[in-house]
Amino acid sequence: MKRSLRSWLWSVPLEQEVDDELAFHREMRRREGRTPPPDPAVRGTLLTLGRKRDREMRLMQWLEEIWTDVRFAIRQMRCAPGFTVVAVLTLALGIGANSAIFALADAVILRPLPFPHADRLMTVEEWGPQQGGRSRIELLNFHEWRHQSRTFDAMAAAWVPAEGGGPVMTGLDGAAETVSAQTVTPQFFDVLGVAPIMGRTFADTDDSTDPRVIVLSEGFWKRRFGGDPAIVGRMITLDQRPHTVIGVVSDSFEFIRRSSIWRLLPLPTANASMTGRGQCGVCQFLQVVGRLKPGVSPAAAQTEMTAVANALAERNGNTGRPRRVLVTPFRDVLIGTDLRITSMLFLGVVGLVLLLCCANVANLVLARMTIRQRELAVRGALGAGRARIAAQLLTESVVLAGLGGAVGLAFAGGILAVAPRWVPDGLLPGILTLGVDAHVAIFCAGATLLVGVLFGLAPVWHVTHAPLVEAMNAEGRTSTGRGNRVRRLLVIGEIAAAVVVLCGAGLLLRTSLILESIDPGYEAARDHVVSGEVSLRGPRYSTDQAVQQFLDAVQREVEGIPGVSAAGWATTLPMGHSDLGRQSFQVAGAEASSDARPLADLQVVSASYFRTVDVPIVAGRPFTGSDRADTPPVAIVSEALARKYLAGRDPVGARIAISGQGTVEREIVGVARQVKERPDEPDDFVQLYVPSAQVPRGETRLLVRTAQGDVRELVSSIRAAIGRVDRLVPLDHIATLDDVARAGTARPRFRTTLVAAFAVLALALAMVGVSGVLAYSVRQRRREFAVRLALGATAHHIWTLVWSDAARVLAAGVATGLTGALLLGQSVSAFLFGVAPYDPITFAAATIVIALTATAAACLPAWRASRTDPAVVFRE
Amino acid sequence: MADKTPNALLHGSLDALILKTLAGGPRHGYAIARFIEDTSGEAVIVEEGSLYPALYRMERRGWLDAEWGESELGRRVKMYRLTRQGRAQLAAETAAWREFAAGVSKILLAQ
Repeated sequence: MKRSLRSWLWSVPLEQEVDDELAFHREMRRREGRTPPPDPAVRGTLLTLGRKRDREMRLMQWLEEIWTDVRFAIRQMRCAPGFTVVAVLTLALGIGANSAIFALADAVILRPLPFPHADRLMTVEEWGPQQGGRSRIELLNFHEWRHQSRTFDAMAAAWVPAEGGGPVMTGLDGAAETVSAQTVTPQFFDVLGVAPIMGRTFADTDDSTDPRVIVLSEGFWKRRFGGDPAIVGRMITLDQRPHTVIGVVSDSFEFIRRSSIWRLLPLPTANASMTGRGQCGVCQFLQVVGRLKPGVSPAAAQTEMTAVANALAERNGNTGRPRRVLVTPFRDVLIGTDLRITSMLFLGVVGLVLLLCCANVANLVLARMTIRQRELAVRGALGAGRARIAAQLLTESVVLAGLGGAVGLAFAGGILAVAPRWVPDGLLPGILTLGVDAHVAIFCAGATLLVGVLFGLAPVWHVTHAPLVEAMNAEGRTSTGRGNRVRRLLVIGEIAAAVVVLCGAGLLLRTSLILESIDPGYEAARDHVVSGEVSLRGPRYSTDQAVQQFLDAVQREVEGIPGVSAAGWATTLPMGHSDLGRQSFQVAGAEASSDARPLADLQVVSASYFRTVDVPIVAGRPFTGSDRADTPPVAIVSEALARKYLAGRDPVGARIAISGQGTVEREIVGVARQVKERPDEPDDFVQLYVPSAQVPRGETRLLVRTAQGDVRELVSSIRAAIGRVDRLVPLDHIATLDDVARAGTARPRFRTTLVAAFAVLALALAMVGVSGVLAYSVRQRRREFAVRLALGATAHHIWTLVWSDAARVLAAGVATGLTGALLLGQSVSAFLFGVAPYDPITFAAATIVIALTATAAACLPAWRASRTDPAVVFRE
Repeated sequence: MADKTPNALLHGSLDALILKTLAGGPRHGYAIARFIEDTSGEAVIVEEGSLYPALYRMERRGWLDAEWGESELGRRVKMYRLTRQGRAQLAAETAAWREFAAGVSKILLAQ
């Protein structure tokens, strides 16, 4: 303390200090009669040393001041435990929620994927305009790319089936189970930089036309094989053929989605290269991932791949179908735009909530400032400068925020620990993990500091502008107009922020309601139909007849179950996944356009399908039992197909050719009502149905409808019925159509739920603010109310006074908030469906909600004001 | 006498001498030099080139504190005073010196 005071009292510049001191010394030596030669270097040395000394002292002084302030702040907080607890918890809530959401945004936007040098991982896709979107790659193209590219270190291809869809594993006990599998080229694990935890991964030497080696995931190995330490080398039967396990990879690895096993893609045979297609039916659905050479930019790779693909297309004489090759960072493909913008939305909303927390704490601090006014005035009178007092108040705020931040970080950890249970499956790629890490901690510290300064500015402004001396004289009678103005502005801001969040939540809520209530196009009750997937493989089902016999037999058995009203087969679930996806087709007689062939979702369905899910046939007839392999080929089209591609003619009787089915022309026998693919599809989905009796598919879905009761209770009977036909065929991915439809709206629903929760929080915080400010102003105006009452005003009159005060603040807040919501509306338009970003109903509803809650919040202070007893007030 | 240069002083012992000097009360730089020279019977001569840098360094370390005072001649002069830290340092240096001197004596004064 001494040392720090010294530099204050010390107003002599360093140079003069040194010169005076040396001059005095030399003078005294002269008087003594001794004149040793003056040391010429000493002045410079002293100046250097002195400068260093002064710098350190200033720093010390500063640190000491901060330390004093911190200790003082802690004492202050001890003096007011109620205030401290409320302020710390409010801040912890805001900072904690922000840190948790930041963890999501960090994982989605900032953090690299958990692969070595993940920034060098690119996906290579083909983009064909006639497909209306990205397509996947053929194996032969992939091999050409791999050999010709110089910008990639290595490239791998993988077939990643949609949910489900994998080989059937038969255990020693004869039980069959479908296993999720990805089929990959040998370089797959090396490109991604994944090392096995046991055994080895694939090698180029495994490459063959009939590979029988597999790699297991850690989870599958533990679950299915009890973590058998001797798993490497063990034989496993997949699709009734033996395969050898060569290794196990950690569960922290995942490519696009979870997989239990990885198999090798068979090499294309010489025969295949003639026709352009491999023998494997999956080879045109490959996803290609490559690792760029170090230092190569994605743009360079893009240029090179375009050239490679163009040369390839030219050589194959494939110039009629312009396709583009697209090199995209793997990260972008994996995470997707939706997730990125969703996390930005959350971050924005939660940021507003934090501002509300700040405003409330600022209000609390301001209220305390009036109590501490005399203390501050005394300190000012004793010589503390305004800057010094301001610095001290700011330190108090930052210390308070620091406590809030520490509690908030713990809170964020708690949220993140339980969050995975709330987040719908598939919202987050499984490879992303959420947790409190260094990034989150740094964010939290930054947010804390910012928050501390933000709400700390209010009392600082208050002090630096309020005349301190007046405060000393005032015995708490006069209100300080300035403090009140700050508090009113804060509350107006709070109401505005709450209105913005409420409007956002309202828009999302309306979107969700619209999506949930959309007419899916089928009439069966959603929870009366259950679906399950079968996959017929192996030699027993090598012929179409065998597959057809199985399908017919299962349908007969299932329809015989008591309670089942209908059963059918389909390759697409309404509002769900399509196995066959978009296929191009051509209407006979229509002009063939060169590049844009129409596309339709191809569905192979049994004759009973339309009956099972109750899709009305609006023209012509449904498929019947007499549409068989040996009768003329037929098709049914959806209303959208008839409208778009058969306009002006009778669809029934028209003929249509579907690509991949040779030159077969099918006669359209009926038009089915439009069924939705997704609730928010922008255009009607073009659908084309083909009877399964004419093109039997071994991979398809069973749909069973019950007349009444819980359809899930039938599942075991359905499994038993299938077992009576073939006990080696499992039924997987059991889901009611309700589950399927809900899965399709899971993301919007999650968004709505989270934003609505934040809106409720924002509303509550704003109301705490309104109520606090009113209560405070009522307390300050007690004398005024007392005078009014003494002069004959009624309690009702006082009520009106307080109400009109509240109404003015509310009106200003709502007006600001609605303006803000209008301006911000465009930024949420990506999340909306069927609702305009400036939807008047939502805005009106938000206004009503906030007005009602504000009225409720104003009740207590108004009641208190009206109960003012003049006799008591005047005696004070 | 002139052959007794400050260099003859063992490294580091000047700090101890200054601290010891100031233990008797605040003094200005010249007074510190005189005190050391007088007390040592002019065995130790302290010149400005070693005295003032030592003072500044010790001030920075917090062993000394300084403020402006008035000299016998009525001139403004910097007065040095021992701080609590300085006192502790003096005790430590004294102990170290005692040990060192005893060790050296055992060798040099051995019969």
